[in-house]
Amino acid sequence: FQSPSRQNSRQQQKINLHAKDEKLSVILDKIEKQVAYVFVYSNDDVNATQRISVDVNNADITDVMQIISKQIDKDYEVVNDKIILRSKQKGATNSSSQSAANTMSNLESATTYFSHQQADIVVNGKVMDDKGAPISGASVTLKGTKTGTITDENGNYTLRIADEQSTGTLVFSSVGFTAREEPINGRKAINITLVAADNALNDVVVVGYSTQKRSSVTGAVDVVGHKALEDRPVTNLTLALQGTSPNLIIQQNNFEPGQSPNLNIRGLGTLGDNTPLVVIDGILGGDINLINPNDVATISILKDAGAAAIYGSRAANGVILITTKKGSKNTKPTVSYSGNYGIQSPRITYKPVDAWENAYYKNVSLVNSGLAPAYTPEQIQAFMENGNGDWRVENIVHDAPQQSHNITVNGGGANSTYLLSAGYLNQQNNFVGPDYGYKRYNVRLNLSNDIGKLKLNTIVSYTKVQNKDHSFNAGTLMVDASRVPLYYSFQDTAGNYLTNPVSAELNPKGILEKGGYRKHDDDEFFGNFSAEYSITKDLKVRGLFGGTIRSNNEFDRVMPISFTPGGSYGSNRDVGNVNSKSLFTNVQLIAQYTKEFGNHNIDVLVGGSNESFDSKGSALFMILTDPALGIPTTGTTIDPARSYTTNDATTETSLNSLFGRVSYNYNQKYFAEFNFREDASSKFAAGNRAGFFPSGSLAWRVSEEDFMQNIRNSISNLKLRASYGVLGNQNVNAYQYQTTFFNYPNAYGFNNNVVGGAGYTLGNPDLTWERAATFNAGVDAGFFNDRLSVSFDYFDKTTSDILYQREDVPQLFGAGFPSYNVAKVRNRGWEAKATYNIPGKTVVQTISANIADNLNELLELTSGATEQVLGKEEFQFLRRVGQPITMYYGYKRNGYFQNLDDLKGYPKFANQVVSPGDVKFVDRNGDGVIDDNDKFILGNPFPRYTFGFTYTIAVKGFDMLLFVQGVGKRDAMIRGEQVEPFHVGYGGTMYTHQTDFWTPTNPDAKWPKLSENGSADNANNYRTGSDIFLFNAAYARLKNLQVGYTIPQRITSKAGMSKVRIYFTGQNLLTLTKLSFLDPEITEFNNNTALSAGANSARAYFLPVFYGGGIDITF
Amino acid sequence: CKKLDLAPTDRYTELTFWQSDENVNNALNNCYNGIYNSGLVFYNEGLSDNAVAKPSSGNGTSTIASGNFTPTLDRFRSDWAFYYGGIKSCNIFLENVDKNTTLPEATKERMKAEVRFIRAWHHFNLMKWYGDVPLLDHDITPDEAKTIARTPKAEVEKFISDELDAVAAILPANTQYDDADRGRITKGAALALKARMLLYDGDKMQDVVNICEQLINNQAENGTYGLAANYSDLFSNMDVNKTSNESIFALQYVPTLRTWGDYFDFAPISAGARTTGLSPTQELVNSYIMLNGKRIDEAGSGYDENDPYSGRDPRLTATIVYDQYEWKNPDGSTQIIYINEAKRPTGKDSSNVYSNAGQGTQTGYYWRKYWDPNHTPPGLSSGLNIHLIRYAEVLLMYAEAKNALGQMTGDVWNQTIRPLRERAGFTDEGALDYPGSGADMTAIIRNERRSEFAMEGIRIDDIRRWKTAETVLNEWAHGAKYGDPTVDNGYIRAQLRVFDPSKHYLWPIPPAEISLDPNLSQNPNY
Repeated sequence: FQSPSRQNSRQQQKINLHAKDEKLSVILDKIEKQVAYVFVYSNDDVNATQRISVDVNNADITDVMQIISKQIDKDYEVVNDKIILRSKQKGATNSSSQSAANTMSNLESATTYFSHQQADIVVNGKVMDDKGAPISGASVTLKGTKTGTITDENGNYTLRIADEQSTGTLVFSSVGFTAREEPINGRKAINITLVAADNALNDVVVVGYSTQKRSSVTGAVDVVGHKALEDRPVTNLTLALQGTSPNLIIQQNNFEPGQSPNLNIRGLGTLGDNTPLVVIDGILGGDINLINPNDVATISILKDAGAAAIYGSRAANGVILITTKKGSKNTKPTVSYSGNYGIQSPRITYKPVDAWENAYYKNVSLVNSGLAPAYTPEQIQAFMENGNGDWRVENIVHDAPQQSHNITVNGGGANSTYLLSAGYLNQQNNFVGPDYGYKRYNVRLNLSNDIGKLKLNTIVSYTKVQNKDHSFNAGTLMVDASRVPLYYSFQDTAGNYLTNPVSAELNPKGILEKGGYRKHDDDEFFGNFSAEYSITKDLKVRGLFGGTIRSNNEFDRVMPISFTPGGSYGSNRDVGNVNSKSLFTNVQLIAQYTKEFGNHNIDVLVGGSNESFDSKGSALFMILTDPALGIPTTGTTIDPARSYTTNDATTETSLNSLFGRVSYNYNQKYFAEFNFREDASSKFAAGNRAGFFPSGSLAWRVSEEDFMQNIRNSISNLKLRASYGVLGNQNVNAYQYQTTFFNYPNAYGFNNNVVGGAGYTLGNPDLTWERAATFNAGVDAGFFNDRLSVSFDYFDKTTSDILYQREDVPQLFGAGFPSYNVAKVRNRGWEAKATYNIPGKTVVQTISANIADNLNELLELTSGATEQVLGKEEFQFLRRVGQPITMYYGYKRNGYFQNLDDLKGYPKFANQVVSPGDVKFVDRNGDGVIDDNDKFILGNPFPRYTFGFTYTIAVKGFDMLLFVQGVGKRDAMIRGEQVEPFHVGYGGTMYTHQTDFWTPTNPDAKWPKLSENGSADNANNYRTGSDIFLFNAAYARLKNLQVGYTIPQRITSKAGMSKVRIYFTGQNLLTLTKLSFLDPEITEFNNNTALSAGANSARAYFLPVFYGGGIDITF
Repeated sequence: CKKLDLAPTDRYTELTFWQSDENVNNALNNCYNGIYNSGLVFYNEGLSDNAVAKPSSGNGTSTIASGNFTPTLDRFRSDWAFYYGGIKSCNIFLENVDKNTTLPEATKERMKAEVRFIRAWHHFNLMKWYGDVPLLDHDITPDEAKTIARTPKAEVEKFISDELDAVAAILPANTQYDDADRGRITKGAALALKARMLLYDGDKMQDVVNICEQLINNQAENGTYGLAANYSDLFSNMDVNKTSNESIFALQYVPTLRTWGDYFDFAPISAGARTTGLSPTQELVNSYIMLNGKRIDEAGSGYDENDPYSGRDPRLTATIVYDQYEWKNPDGSTQIIYINEAKRPTGKDSSNVYSNAGQGTQTGYYWRKYWDPNHTPPGLSSGLNIHLIRYAEVLLMYAEAKNALGQMTGDVWNQTIRPLRERAGFTDEGALDYPGSGADMTAIIRNERRSEFAMEGIRIDDIRRWKTAETVLNEWAHGAKYGDPTVDNGYIRAQLRVFDPSKHYLWPIPPAEISLDPNLSQNPNY
């Protein structure tokens, strides 16, 4: 705590200095040695290498500073023990212009208009964030005056004001926080809590190849700050982002550790891959799932053409720009640790019926189908008496710990910053078995050095991922463990693994515990080296070289197990070894010119780049290896069908690009921006290689207009934005433009000897880019001094020349096609986001919510063909012009046949024998018979109305965060044993959610009558793809709940720590959904809802519930 | 930085490919590779009254057999695409092979003849299932594919017939090939395929007789053929299976390198299978005659319903595994296969037992024919060849055609059915001797085909061309007598079949194809 008296005593210290033509930095150093002040300045503002002369004896600091400031033409400000040097202020300032775009720390952003603290009252206090941590460098000003100060590194401030102003109002503000006004009411001590602002207008927003002030952004750019990611027990960045930004849609098809979720911006605009481009620290194409979420400073999500066109050919699906944390200049080293530990608990949402009950239901099913019952009453009685066996999913999973630890050291001197971080994540697998789990190690070093006009930036990071799982397929393990009736157990008393007539071949528990493993060991090294040189004050050039080296190793081992009484696993003793390495390099050269001419501000950026990718791999698969060691032995053979060499697995691509941006604004009021990129890709033939992708955008800050000034207190910000542009997509495999022939082994045999064969792949020489024309309109508004901020965007995107296989050619053509530029999709939607900060004296709250929708429409499929239907087990996927790109397709039910009269008149399938209790189908065309012409479009598998809701509250040292995420509308067609009792004879059990089936006394049942596989009833009810398989997969989920407590600083400081926070955190604690037996987040699709996806059989690895706690310590 | 012109490292371009002799050979082998597959041979049994397929096995087999399907069933399009894919490979070969200038002309002519045979084979299969089909005698463009119309069946037949005549004149007989070429298409194969097509036509029996006589009587010119000494060895003994001159046309496999694995779903579970995808029916079991030559339902047959597998055609035991079957293990030991739970002694292996709640057989029977004692992992992989046309078929085609022409005699019998029954292991003269003109010779010949070719995918062709499918596929398919004694006399009801003679004799043209090619018409009543 700095008392005024100490400050005065410091001012009385005298200075002796004799320097002629000395560097400013040296002079300031010398002064710092004589008096208890440190100098603070930004290298952007002050050139520390300029030479000046000072010749004083026994002088006051104020005198010395006047000499210096005159020579360097800068203002100075004394704040506590700091002397701040900065550019001279132009006239009056207000609180909203306090921050420059490229400042690095709060201190530098402090305003300097409070040099005359000649007053009578002293108000002091502390400024803290919502978790109780001090905010240093926050500005505290008396409203309506130029009187003010900034807080010290402990968040404390002291402000002298005139006596008559003791009824005035203080304004507290700091970069990244919502400003807050507080009446003084004669108080002498005012402590205040500021709430982090997501949307502060002066925040620096990372955009393509540069940064802009939030107020200058004209495109649809959403920013997710690191605060949204902190202390969440999620295992990768994608999962951490779920629900944080509207229309950032994240789905999974399997929750097993190490799986990559689907990530998608604004839904599906193309029939191919909809994965957005990921740019990490300026390098394109990074792996979002390998980065340590703890290292992330900000994430910009570029949604429209206005923002994304500078990434041209790959921006059609949106761009995610990830910027990692850096150190700050002039800050002492800070060490922080954060860690959490918790338990992932499996949540199995379905339950087989009791053994005796199942035997009874099986008999019902058999008798209903004209077959003899399988179990006698005595047997059923015996099942009832003996109870259930243990063959159920719960016994192949267990609670598994998950922990993560991160240490960050950062700081900086006058000309350099550094950040060093290390992270460790260990997520154990919930399956039983030896040490299955996912481990990730991250190390990162971010360095910056200013050498005069040259700024050097170095980022290197290393990631190691080790994932060990079982040797089998998770879905099959789940289903083998879940559809066996409870007459059976996994093991006998001697520990032998058992099989039974339902799971005749395999025992999943045995496979997990003894059946071998797959070990992945992947390394990624990322480097990014850039140099920026300021040719003049306005013109900078920047060169960047960066890239990623990946080296992946996979070792698979299948161990033989024999089951009792029969069946075996892994008897061929497979061993597989797969290695790959890849190198991605990116060279960029960029020039940027920024200039103000009066009220005209322009910013021009042009650049060029090359990206090259080269990947190689080899694989060796052997069977009948040594049982103990897995190495070749007598009888071992190499499997040539799966093994390959580097020449079979080499991919090379290259992309040359030119890009640029021109931004103009008039008086921060009217904005215009033009972006372009020209790309040339090796994926296309010479004439079709280049693509030009332009965009333009406009914005108007209505709130800056004069006519708005009298309502600025209520409408503090209002900006209208619009953009239009064309984006590209080149997500096709390399070499598709050439027709190629490939030789393959073991095509046929003559005289018992194998011979090779030669296949061909047709090429399409006309292959070129997809083009997405995107219109976006948006509004950003702030109310009540930006306490409430709202933004809304509408978009309309039409993607044409979509790369798709030809569906207009019948299969009698005889061969598959490469991709053609044939399809067209329109995708429209909107997103809304609102944040409301409720400051209070002791209780600080924030509410933020986002919701979004998108709906696509297939406009053209392929040269004249308007429809593609693909059978998926029982039902079908449909692509039809005029509909969303992938739909479920099948019959609609219309209740049950209740009696014989019902059977006579009602339409049925030709030759279909039905009986009471069977499903009736809707005769759509009314022709008296059910056939293909009676199918309906049943649903859309892609989520709509996705939303996220976050509430935080801080009371004294306590804080709480509640985060809900969900999907408002989604259809899921699900087949398999969870839907159909005794599924196709493979399912041996029924589940508790299936027992409401039709009987003469239960005519309004949920499910039709029980019937055996192969019977006419079963064929009618379950082999016919109808909406019996259709479920509502909307949900709302309490994704994260955190309750934390920050130990008061007076306690922690004794232990040398500036901040200690402990917290409880829970993930996936509560779910509201109508889908009872399967996690509603699960989808059968990847990022393109491709028709090639398999039907959802409800067998995915479950989503675990996480409970745990953590601690954050800053030293 | 890399250049933008990047070439793949594992492939040839169109320009360079055909210059290499090795590549031309590989392209030819690729046509062989696409001839057929084991699944089509075996699971097509499940379309007939010989077997029942699990709904999840055999790509729609069970659905088609039930009669309860719509034209959009994927199988109708996937088979269609399979045959036309094979035709495409052939046409590409035929149109490009002359870009090679280093192979001898005679070699190229022979290769082309092999490929033309394969192209004819695909057209024959298409015609068999779909009736009129587009005839593709050249490589078509996508635009042609969108407008091509179905060629009347008679014209397709004429094309196949002419092609087979032409290639028969070029192709070597089986005795003219080097041993290293064993498995290549021969003159004999071309003649035999033509005979089969004409037999299926039903109206060209004299032509069938003529071709069969060429194959039976003029072996010096058309190739040397005979019957393997042992029926079972022809399918399960690696040496006999691969070298017997009974084989006229077979899918060639090689142990561990090019294999088929269907037995993983056919064998008794205790023999290493995982499940049962295709189960033989009681109807098939019943069709095997007694050793005395009588049908089981004939007076004096000696058939005992309680000991049903004794005294039967030895081909029953060679083909089907029944309760208490003595199964030979690969190591020479034996195991008893217990299928009937009621007769399983306490403590004996229960994994093969029939249960209507289990994963094993749906009928109480498993398969034995084509069991490979030298199976290798993964699963039960086999390198045995799968016969597509064998000399036994020539004999039975001859018998059937002669009989249809009213020319059946003791001589013909002694040339055809008698040697087959002798080879099968019959010794009783009641089975071997010509039954005389009073017997229902048509029924005998038809039943002989069923017993001889069970599990070879031929039964469904037969019942469709004889138009008996509407009878035998219009009832329950049954399993062994382990069921409810009050239902069907205790025989397991395995699958109810419906066959609509007004349409089911032809498969529907895939509607998806019609929607892309408006010139394709649909078969009647679909």
